[in-house]
Amino acid sequence: MQHPDEGTIHAWLDGALTADEAAQIEAHVKSCPECAAAVAEARGFIAASSRILTALDNAPRGVIPTTAPVKRRFDPMAWRIAASVLVIAGGTFLVVRNQGTREASAPARSLTLDTSSSVAAFNAVVESTQTAATASVPPAALSSPAGAPGRRGAAKSSGAATGSAAPSVSTVNQPDLSTQAVTAMESRAPTAQKTAMPTAGARDDNVIAAAAPAATMRFVPSANGAAGAVAAEDRAVGPTEPLKVIGSPRRLGAKVTVYEIAGDTVTLTESMQLQLQSVVVTGVATARVQGEKAAAARTNSAEPAPQTPTVAGGSASLPAPPAAPTSAPVPAPVHDALHPDDPNAVHTITWVDPVTRNTMALSGRMSEARLQLIRARIESERAAAKKTP
Amino acid sequence: MTDVERLFRTYNAALVRYLTRRLGDRDWAEEVAQETFVRALRQTSIQNERAWLFAVATNLVRDEARKDSRRRKHLALLAEQERDSVVEPEETGLERAQEAAMARKAVDALAERDRLALLMREEGLDYSEIAEALQLSPGSVGTTLSRARRRLVESYEALQKDREAREKHAAS
Repeated sequence: MQHPDEGTIHAWLDGALTADEAAQIEAHVKSCPECAAAVAEARGFIAASSRILTALDNAPRGVIPTTAPVKRRFDPMAWRIAASVLVIAGGTFLVVRNQGTREASAPARSLTLDTSSSVAAFNAVVESTQTAATASVPPAALSSPAGAPGRRGAAKSSGAATGSAAPSVSTVNQPDLSTQAVTAMESRAPTAQKTAMPTAGARDDNVIAAAAPAATMRFVPSANGAAGAVAAEDRAVGPTEPLKVIGSPRRLGAKVTVYEIAGDTVTLTESMQLQLQSVVVTGVATARVQGEKAAAARTNSAEPAPQTPTVAGGSASLPAPPAAPTSAPVPAPVHDALHPDDPNAVHTITWVDPVTRNTMALSGRMSEARLQLIRARIESERAAAKKTP
Repeated sequence: MTDVERLFRTYNAALVRYLTRRLGDRDWAEEVAQETFVRALRQTSIQNERAWLFAVATNLVRDEARKDSRRRKHLALLAEQERDSVVEPEETGLERAQEAAMARKAVDALAERDRLALLMREEGLDYSEIAEALQLSPGSVGTTLSRARRRLVESYEALQKDREAREKHAAS
């Protein structure tokens, strides 16, 4: 017999031949070592190809060229941007809300202590950081050295690097601030304090009455009596109430800080000369400049402060208190009828910062007297922040 | 049990395996197999069931429109297997993936008729069924199969040698 070809050998091994053909092949392979080797090789191919094809059985399902799931590490910068947007949006909302009501009702009630504009601010500001820092030491910082230690008024918030703006007080929470406030009021209106406050710190409402008698008339309560109301308001900004900065929305040409105190929100707007430098200032620069300012403040703290609103503002910043409120801090009920204003309406007080000559406006849904108290407290905390950066 | 149910129970596993090996995608294989049984429903009579089913399945795979869209996926699969074989950390997984990739390459290197004949034979089709399904002369099936097996094994071994050489090169 002829040597069988490879196809026939495979057919034989696959059992595809007839019985006769198979018998012939079998006989030949037994006698032919060459064909025996070929048969062995064919067996190997059959087994190997079966094994190779088995490897294909683990085919995955749904081999759709899916775009590989990109593992996203959320960019931390995106978090920062999102947080900033949130803060700015929230602050803007608060300011817009407050201003909307203020603009509607403010003109009649606004207690303007000094209406002069901040025209000179630019020159004053540009002179030098040193000068500004020296001059910007507020009265409270000088008059209450005891308030300095342990203070952690962070000088990190927005502000002008040029030193025009006082640093915002951020997250200050000291228990002795009421005393500070009183002291601040003392230094601002010395004459009033002398007559009105025989015992400084004992009766803060006296200070209120002395400082802003007109406002005192207005927050007369209806039910509990004036004394209770004054006391309540007094408590509201008392030593235990934290003054928190809850936002400083950006506005061109002004520095806006939103404070929260005793559940109320007040907005401090500091209008300043528009200058590119103060708009693009970074937080780092602010901190540095304020640090310099603070250092300057420390070295010059012995100097008497010539920056009381009365001196610097030129105009009557705080009206001299009439005798009546000091002797009778509780306003007569008749004033209630004359001034039926809702004490919860939005009031605004404005003054001119003695150092920067910026126009400051503090507005909130509360009486002007209380705004004055809060103003004193804000200024004292700013002073504290400057003193201990 | 209806006729189609019987057909399905008898041949589905082999048909899906054949198609999976042919296509490299089990979902696609099952899809084609189902379509094959649907076609069988329309037939009044089938002489050689297994040969008919494999022939129809093979023709469905040949459908160019489908093939084109699937071919891209197949290529994507190959690319993914290549990637996996590089990055897979586990030794066994790496081995398996590399073997699958090489087997796929070796099978794809075969001529279409050789490949189909071999895959059908692996599913137990006899020579006459393969001849019928692929429209070959019965006498040429042995030759086709022997050629397919030899080439498959040889290309697989060549790929294996390449891999070993690469690994040796990487180790040194």
